[in-house]
Parts: sequence; structure tokens; C-alpha cells
Amino acid sequence: METVLEIEDLKKYYGRQGNQTKALDGITLQVMEGEFLGIMGSSGSGKSTLLNCIATVIEPSSGKIMMKGTEIHSLKGKKLAAYRGREIGYLFQNFELIDNLTGRENIMLPMSLHNVSDKESSKRLSRLASYLEITDVLDKFPSQMSGGQKQRVAAARALIMDPGIILADEPTGALDSRNAKTLMKKLAGLNQDENATILMVTHDSNAASYCKRILFIQDGRIFHELRRDTPDETQQEFYDRILKVMSQLGGGSANVL
Amino acid sequence: MFFNLITRNSRRSRKENGMFFATLLIAIIAFYIILSLSRQDVMLFLQEMESDAVNRLLGMIPVFYVMTLIILFFLIYFASKFQLERRRHEIGMYLMMGMTRNRLFVLLLAEDIRSSIIALLIGLPAAVLLSEIISLVTARLVGLGIIGHSFSLSLEAVLWTAAGFFIIKLAAFLILSAKISRREIGSLLAERPEETRRQLPAPVYALSLLGGILCLGTAYYLAIRGMSWYQIRIMGLTVLLGFAGTLLFFFGLRFVFSLILRTGKRDRRLHIFNVRQLQENVIRQSGTMAVSSLLILAALCCFGAGVAMAAHYGKSETHVLDYTFLPEYTDEPNQEQSAEDILDILKKTGLDTSFSELFEMKIGHIYAKNDDFENMYTMDSVMREIEKLPVSEDRDVLLNNLEYADFPHLISLSGYNELLRIAGLPELALEENEGAVYMDREFVNDSRIRIMNGILAGSPEVQLHGESLRLTGTVQSTGVVTDSSITLSFALILPDEAFQYYTQNRYDVYVNGVLDSSTAERVGLMQAISGMNDRLNGTGLNYESYLQNMGRQLFYIVAASYLTIYLAIIFIIVANTVIGVQFLMNQQKTNRRYKTLIRLGAVYEALCRSAEKQVNWYFGIPVLVAAASSLFAVRALFSGLLSPRTQGSVQELMLISAAMILVLCVIEYIYMSAVKRSSRRYLLKLMVPEREE
Repeated sequence: METVLEIEDLKKYYGRQGNQTKALDGITLQVMEGEFLGIMGSSGSGKSTLLNCIATVIEPSSGKIMMKGTEIHSLKGKKLAAYRGREIGYLFQNFELIDNLTGRENIMLPMSLHNVSDKESSKRLSRLASYLEITDVLDKFPSQMSGGQKQRVAAARALIMDPGIILADEPTGALDSRNAKTLMKKLAGLNQDENATILMVTHDSNAASYCKRILFIQDGRIFHELRRDTPDETQQEFYDRILKVMSQLGGGSANVL
Repeated sequence: MFFNLITRNSRRSRKENGMFFATLLIAIIAFYIILSLSRQDVMLFLQEMESDAVNRLLGMIPVFYVMTLIILFFLIYFASKFQLERRRHEIGMYLMMGMTRNRLFVLLLAEDIRSSIIALLIGLPAAVLLSEIISLVTARLVGLGIIGHSFSLSLEAVLWTAAGFFIIKLAAFLILSAKISRREIGSLLAERPEETRRQLPAPVYALSLLGGILCLGTAYYLAIRGMSWYQIRIMGLTVLLGFAGTLLFFFGLRFVFSLILRTGKRDRRLHIFNVRQLQENVIRQSGTMAVSSLLILAALCCFGAGVAMAAHYGKSETHVLDYTFLPEYTDEPNQEQSAEDILDILKKTGLDTSFSELFEMKIGHIYAKNDDFENMYTMDSVMREIEKLPVSEDRDVLLNNLEYADFPHLISLSGYNELLRIAGLPELALEENEGAVYMDREFVNDSRIRIMNGILAGSPEVQLHGESLRLTGTVQSTGVVTDSSITLSFALILPDEAFQYYTQNRYDVYVNGVLDSSTAERVGLMQAISGMNDRLNGTGLNYESYLQNMGRQLFYIVAASYLTIYLAIIFIIVANTVIGVQFLMNQQKTNRRYKTLIRLGAVYEALCRSAEKQVNWYFGIPVLVAAASSLFAVRALFSGLLSPRTQGSVQELMLISAAMILVLCVIEYIYMSAVKRSSRRYLLKLMVPEREE
């Protein structure tokens, strides 16, 4: 198995000395091809910062992020745009669909941005659409879709360029439990069947139980790691283990008065 | 604390929204310039010459003031709306923190007044300066000389400017703050309110587009055929059709956009995104776009027509004579004596030394015994020549005009040659039985003169009082007296003996004079003539000076060009600012979309390109519609406003207008560049990642 993403001693500090917030304080991790990695932690733990660093939305203070062997923070201009467009697919908590474009136009937006020929992609679009069950909303505007449909359209958009890795930032955060379940099943299915590599940030243990491996982050450091023991361990058992770790986060009951 | 907040907020508004502040300054300057019109050098000068007409023009200033007030109100309203829209979140926060609505109102009002005062403090001096510059430049352009210029600050104008400015500012503020205070805090705090417009079925828009094009086409047809000028009803219909057509056209424009989207052109470089953005703007603001387009059309018409008319009146005959002294009206058939008297008086008062030239111009008629005027003059040979020409408008006009020239004026050669010498033109040499043709430029244009010269080259023989006469040379048209409104449509220049023979010594004698050039050069021609007029008024002489001509001409130039250009500038500023502000407002409202694009990997350049494309279309559509309409409208204005005798030069005037339209397109380009720059700056701000936790 190939390493898709490699992060080495990643640090991101906010503020000046004396009044410094260490959002990320030396994170090292690897994501293998076809992996479904979850990152959990309470709010303020640094998980979104980590994701934003990988997405090149923010610049880390120090450390390395290697995507398929390329140091991404050395990328500039066109190469950076190509990285954003082709190597990563981003799934946002609040979908980030453009409200005056139809579902189809939203999904095709990355192609338009990166000037990719759309012959190949329209085939891919119809396959993704039928898999994600959004074929009948393709010509509707986001305001005419349900939350679940919106997030699945957003997922199709993240996948249309066939990226090396999908970064999902709390993808179930704005969904009800039924829609959240559908989405997670689809994502897990994509990971299973298409060997899609997914890195998901969440604090929803339910969603996390679909992952193969989970890293727990606290105060900018990796605090614990869980691996689902497939195929022996059921999702329910994995979920229980996640809950146990969650209760330990932040020092467990020691901090409770 | 409260006052600190006011100060800080208003300073921030000024810095963040330069466009808004610039709008305020423009409003102030526009007010002051129209109000201080009566203090302009040209106006002061004209008031002495043509006081009636000028007073009537100045009497119209309140009307222009109110018009400016109304137009600028919309501008300020739009700009203020944009300004408040930007601060919605902040206002929501004030309310959330427990600020009462009254206090919020006071806060906003105080900020508003503060920024108004600052705008006035900067704008008024700028306005005074600009008005002085305009005064100096126009004075210089029309040759008044700048010696007589004195700095003039019209206090009244300043007060009215401030009053008008505060009135529209306050009115806009009250309406907007009433609107905003009715909103819920939640909707103020939300990033953007969801505004979904109900969509009508597509055929409705297609029909609207079609109806718009039909209305516009009919209006163009009515206007260009000149039918609109026959009746006020048809004129009203034309204007109404034009208005309705433009509104319908813009309303139906979304159909075009959906067609573009459906044709499925390859989506490259955010093509679909751009079209969708434009479509949304067109859907939300079709009315504003239509009104902006109409404003630009109005500006183009004003500009084109104003400049063309000014150029037309400004292009007068060459100036040769400064003075013409008129003979006293006596029963004496021969006026030689009265000419002697005029010269005597000038000599006695010592005024003759101020003239470099004084000469007699003799003009009379063929003497008809028993008042039998029939067939005094016939020129069948000339008429036959003209009839032979291919049919054209010029030919018909000449035939028609010359048919009535059966009792022409006669001009004596010696006086006319004197005139030619002073004008620096070659003198005429006529044999005993020869004559030259005189036609004033008022009645013939260049092509007609060319026709006549062609015929005169053949030395045609004509009959004058039963005797034959050969016409030679070319058509003469140098003004024989100072007053350019005295014109001769057709006259004959005859050698002195022949002149005396035909007139039987019954003719008028005008004494023409040219002022000594040294005086004119020292104080400027206007001042020299003015001074001479004062001295002549004591002598009881009857005279015409070049000043009256100048005054009349100037009045037309000023009245036609000054006000039309003023209005054109106001219109163009308002329209462009509205379009520009609206675009930027929409861009800020939809900033999430741009942020999404950034997250999807759009580089700054790609976003700028997309925004620039949108700007091009957003400005381009109204401007193109306006430019297309203006071609017809300016043509219609000419055919309606210009007197028939200047119709011949319509083509030339159209050319001038076309040039003006081109200039306005350049102005549009400048505006677009400004908006693009502003949008680029905004996009750059969006590129900086935010911490969203």
C-alpha cells in the first residue's frame, strides 16, 4: 500500500510569544491509499486547523505535509491550484454549494475552474449521481434540495475530479441522523468499493464508527489511536470503543467536579 | 464613548467605502456648479449683451436645481443603502447588546451628519475651485480674455448647495433607517437573507423580450422618421414606447441567459458561474438596469446634441468687420450725404483714429420706374444649367431659391473689394458688363456653392433690366455688414458705374469700420469693442458692433452646450455609480460563493477574471442598449431641433455625436476599470484564510 499523505511534526501557532495558542503542536501521521481515517477531538483541539493546513487554506508554522511525495507548501501558483483541484476533494460541514447554480453545475464547477475536458467527467458524473442517489436533483437549485441531498451533491463535487484524498470537515454536522447515516454509508461504500482515500474530521462518534482508523487529538497533539479490527469487530463494538476513548479525552472524569 | 463611536464609525466608513464618499462629493459639486452658473464670466458678460435671453435661462436654474436634487437623491439613496447593507451585521450586534432602537437611530444619524459635514468641507472648496476653472476655461475658449476675471464666491449658491445636500441625504437616511429598524435582529445578523424570487414560466420572459424589442423598434422608427415632431401625442407615444421597450427588454433578458445556459457551451473558466451571476443580477435588478440604461441614453443624447449644436453655432463666418454705422433714415434717395455726416462726426470726436479702416459699403436695388418690378432680373441660362443636373436635394433647393431672385440687391464693387482686401482675400476684377454673384452662407451649403461655381465658370449671360450681363468669378459670401443676422440670399456685385446706372443713384450707404489692432491686442477684442461702444454712445450715431453678434452666438453656445453637457455628466455619473455600486453590493452579498470557489482551488487570478467578465457584461449590457438607442435618438433630436437650413449639415453633426458617444464609451471604460479594481481588492481580502472555529 502506498502512502498518500504524510505529515511530519506539523505545528501551527497563533499569536505572539507570551500569548501563544498552540493549535497544532507537532502532529505526525500517515494516510495510506484506500484508508478511511477519522480525526476526533473536542472543539478547539486543532482538528479543523489540521484539515485546513492539508487543504492549504492556512499555512503551518513549521513541519511538513507531503502529498504523494510532494511537499505541498512549496507549491505555488498553477501547481497549487492543480493540487487543490485534483489532489484533494473537500467536503464541508455546511456543504458550500453555490446557491445560484444547479446541482449539476455545482458538481461540474471544479472542472470549469481547472479547465478539464468534460467528456470523461460527464460519464463520471452520471455514475456518481446514481451511486449517491442525486440524479433527480441534478437540475435543481440548492434551495430546492434537502440537507442530505445537498451534502451528497457536495460529495459528488468533491469526487468529480477523482482526487487523491477526500478531506471531509464534519460532513454530518448539519445533517439529521437519518441523512447523516445515509451519507456515511455512501462514504464508507466509496472507500470500500472504489478504494477512495478519506480523511474525516468529526466529533460525532456515530459517524466516526464508519472509519477504519481514528486518531484522537487534544490540545494540538495526538492523544490516542484506534484501529477497527476488521472484519472481526462489528461497527457497534467499534462505536463502544470510541465512546470509551471519548470519555477519557480531556483527562476523563478527573476534571469533573 | 458614544461620540468616540460616532467618530470612529464615520471615519471607517469613509476609508472602507471610498465610492460612497466620492458620490457625496459629486453631489455637492453638481449642486454648486448649477447654482453658481449666474456668476460665471461668460454669463456675466452675456447678461449685458442679451439680458432677456440670459435672464430666461437663469430663471430656469431652479428647475435644474430641483431636477439635480431628484436625480442625486436616487444616487445618494443607492450609495447609502450599500453603505448600510455592509454594516447590517454590526447594527444587529448593537441591538443584540441592548442598544435601543432610538439610540441606534441617533448613532446612525450623528454618523450621517458627521460624514455630510466632512463631505461639505471637502466638497465645497472643490466645487468652488472647479466652477472657477470652468468659468476661466469657457471664457478663454470663447475669447473673452481672462483679464476681466475676478474670483467669485457665491454665498447664496453655497447655502443652497448645503441645504439641498442635507435634504437629500436626510431623506435617504430616514427611508433607509426606517427600513432597517423594521428588520428582525436575526435577519440583520445572518450572513445574507435568502431572497428567492418567484420565477414566471419561460415564455413570459421570451414574450417580454420580444415585446421590448418591438416597442424599441417602433420608437426608433417614429423618432428617425421625424414623425414624433408633428404632434405632441406622437412624441409622447415615442417616449413611452422607448421607456416601456427598455424596461421590457431588460425584464426579458433573463430568457437570453437561460438560452445561453441551455446551449451547453463548454464550461470553461467559470463560464457558467459568470452567466449565473449575471442572470441573478438581471433577475433581481432588471428595473435598475433599465433605468441606468435610460440614464446613459439621456446622457448620450444630451452630450451628442449639446456638443453638436455648440459646434454648429460656434462655427460662424470669419470675422472681418468690427463696426457698421447705419445711415439715418431720410427721404433723400441718395444716402451719400449721411455717410459723409457719419465720418464727420467720427472725425470731430477724434474717434476715427481708433479705427484702422473706415469705408463705405453701397447697397441698393435696380431702380424701377413706375414701380414695375416684373422681370427686373432673369437668369434663364443659369436655371437651365441647374435643371440639367442629376436630381438631388441641392438641385431642387437651388432651383426653388433662385426662382425668387428676380429683384436682387446690388452691391458696388469698390466697397466690396475694400472688404475683401481687409479680409485678406483676392479682390474682384470686373469688366463693364460683368457681375459677380453674392450669396450668403446662411442660404447655401458647400455643395450648393460648388454647383453654382461650376455654372459661373461658364460665364453665363443673364438679363438685368433688359440688358445683358455676364456672371463671372466664384460665389462671394463675405458678410457685407457687421450684423451677421442681416443676410442677402442672392445679390449681384457690379462695377461702380454700372451700380450707379442701375440704381439711378438711389442706394443705402453703410460705413464699415475695423478697430485698430493694437488696442484690440492689448485689452482683447471684447474689451476694445466694449470701450468703443461707451464712447460712441455719446455721439448719437446709429451703429452695430461685432459684440452683439458675438453675444448672440455665445448665448447659443452656452445655452446649448453648457446645460446639456452638465446634465449629461450628472446622468452618466448617476447611472455608472448605480451600476457600479450595485455590482459591488452583489459581490459582497455573495461573498460565500467566492469563498467556496477559493476552497475548490480557484486562484486569485481566476476569480478576478471571472469578476471582470461579470463587470464587463454588467456595464456592457446597459451601455450597449443605450448606445444603440442613442444613435436613433440623437438623429431624431437633430431632425426635430435644427432649423431646416442647417439640416444640410446633419451628417456632419452626426459625426460629432458619434465621436462624443465614443468619448462616453471611454468614460464607461474608466468606470469599469475602477469597479474592477475595487472588486479585485475585495477578492484579495477574501483570499486571506479566516479562522473558523
